[in-house]
Amino acid sequence: MFIRLQTPRGTKDYLPPEVERHRYVEQKLREVFQLWGYQEIRSPAIELVEVLSTGVGSDLVDSMFKFQDFDGKIVALRAEMTAPVARIVTTKMLEAPKPIRLFYISNVFRYSQSYLEREREFWQAGVELIGCNTPAADGEVLSLLASFLKKLGLEEVRIDVGHAGLLKDLLRAAGLDKKKKGVLQGLLRYRDEDRLEKFMDQNSFSSELNEAFLRLSRCRRLEELSSVSLESSTYGKTDNYLRALLEVRDALVDYGVENLVFFDFSLVRNIEYYTGIVFEASVPNLGLPLGGGGRYDNLMEKFGKLKIPATGFAVEIEKCLQALASQGFQPLDKRKVKVLVASRFRDSAIKAVEAIRSTGITALLDVTKGGRNEVLEYAKRGGMNHVIFVDFSLEKPAAIYDIQLDTVKNMTINAFLQSMGDDRK
Amino acid sequence: MKRKIRIAIPSKGRLSKPSIQVLQEAGVNILKKERTYVSETSDSRFDAVFARAFDVPIYIQYGAADLGITGHDVILERGSDIHELLDLGFGKCQLVVAVPENSGIRSVNDIPTVARVATEYPNLCQKYFESIGKQVEILVVRGTAELAPKLGLAQTIVDITETGKTLRKNKLNVIATILDSSCRLACNRIAYRVFESEISELLGKMKRGGN
Repeated sequence: MFIRLQTPRGTKDYLPPEVERHRYVEQKLREVFQLWGYQEIRSPAIELVEVLSTGVGSDLVDSMFKFQDFDGKIVALRAEMTAPVARIVTTKMLEAPKPIRLFYISNVFRYSQSYLEREREFWQAGVELIGCNTPAADGEVLSLLASFLKKLGLEEVRIDVGHAGLLKDLLRAAGLDKKKKGVLQGLLRYRDEDRLEKFMDQNSFSSELNEAFLRLSRCRRLEELSSVSLESSTYGKTDNYLRALLEVRDALVDYGVENLVFFDFSLVRNIEYYTGIVFEASVPNLGLPLGGGGRYDNLMEKFGKLKIPATGFAVEIEKCLQALASQGFQPLDKRKVKVLVASRFRDSAIKAVEAIRSTGITALLDVTKGGRNEVLEYAKRGGMNHVIFVDFSLEKPAAIYDIQLDTVKNMTINAFLQSMGDDRK
Repeated sequence: MKRKIRIAIPSKGRLSKPSIQVLQEAGVNILKKERTYVSETSDSRFDAVFARAFDVPIYIQYGAADLGITGHDVILERGSDIHELLDLGFGKCQLVVAVPENSGIRSVNDIPTVARVATEYPNLCQKYFESIGKQVEILVVRGTAELAPKLGLAQTIVDITETGKTLRKNKLNVIATILDSSCRLACNRIAYRVFESEISELLGKMKRGGN
């Protein structure tokens, strides 16, 4: 039988250098999220399909890997983390004081038939701020996103903000069928005023609605929204939404990140549960967004019958790495020193590695029966900085090879550690 | 400082020359074209990259190019999430279903169940036949779908036609039109936000030049 040894389409192995790159992003994430008081959460990779499907919309449900459990229930691999977090909060954290701040770093799975599509397993990191619907909460999540991306080392980060409710209510007010709604959304995205005006004429928009669409699609910054007034309008809650956006903008000024934030009236996320502001983060050199999020005030209700407002975001770790690479940033820490210790006297070799490790330097014990040349060859190919051949006592000078410089010195372990310490100063 | 904006242009085929020309009319002259993938242009803000028309949507979607010129048919076939900013008017064609004149098939309803269809457009082809409730086996070919019926590979083809000449020459009848297409100026979603002023300026010139 011919065995295919590759991983399934859209999945991949992470070899040590890739894991190290991933860890770089993860560590920064944890550091920043924890500093802001967010607590890490984990959930199962497999959940009941009803749970994962709640509120996310049919596109995402279609893209889930689903299968039947032994008891006949349909389960699926999680395709995103907000629905699992909503389940946890509404079933196990109801007593927790609100707002609740949670974060996660998880692999998620999406099945895609399109050959353009990306990975089917990928890593997402995100936060959820649950139980609060103030502008300060939206501002916090947006500035946390900005702060984390800057901390990673990314430059020219920008965040584009839209509003799910504002767009939805105005589209509803236009009274178009599904197909025409799609056309209109396209025109708004293309920011093509000529075609937009023509379309609105053809579909006999009222002059107020016409004006609202034109003005909103002209706004590039949140503060420009103050010139748009829909006060006398009957378009759902649009006026509240505009006010909310302006309040978020004020919060962003206080956080000092308003310069990174832009307004895009046409911005939509491909998940349905969003009710308020929605946003996407990007850098100019990467053509795909790094991630995004928004406010979802009605999702919790679908799980627990309790209305709990919430907001959050998720970024893709791989995209962050691609963005760093596009800006020429190399996250691998090449300065990390590795030492290999070999000896005919196992007890003193073990004492030596322990002494080295206690100073924070990585030390490996030679566990082979190889001769000096084989050990040196292994060290060279394995990326070691030093090889130390110790005698029966650590007090006696050991032969210490510097692999990069191709030199050898005789000195005690203590003297060696001393010199390493000096180097690092 | 802002980096240069990359425009992807079909490197060969029927869309290549008019694409270069439409840019030229908008004041972006490509300075050297021979055997290079990236060319400078007379407008220092823009570089031109050359790619297969079929690959232009991918270049744009992934941001390897910020802007690009290619057919509407190709953008749909690739299922790309990119902005089609402008219909450039040239490269008009249709994606059609065609069968041999002597096949006796007069409409898509006459196509037998699980017929083989040769095409360069498997995704659009699949969607079309699904929409009319017909099961077909799709064979992906590159370039010359019209040979398939002759050689007995597939009786039915789904292919692009401009004038119908090639189809007639190969004794093929059009029995349905799936799509009307023409050449488009398309743009990466993020690039459109980042470089909005430059891109709108170019767009404005192209609109005036085109009509």
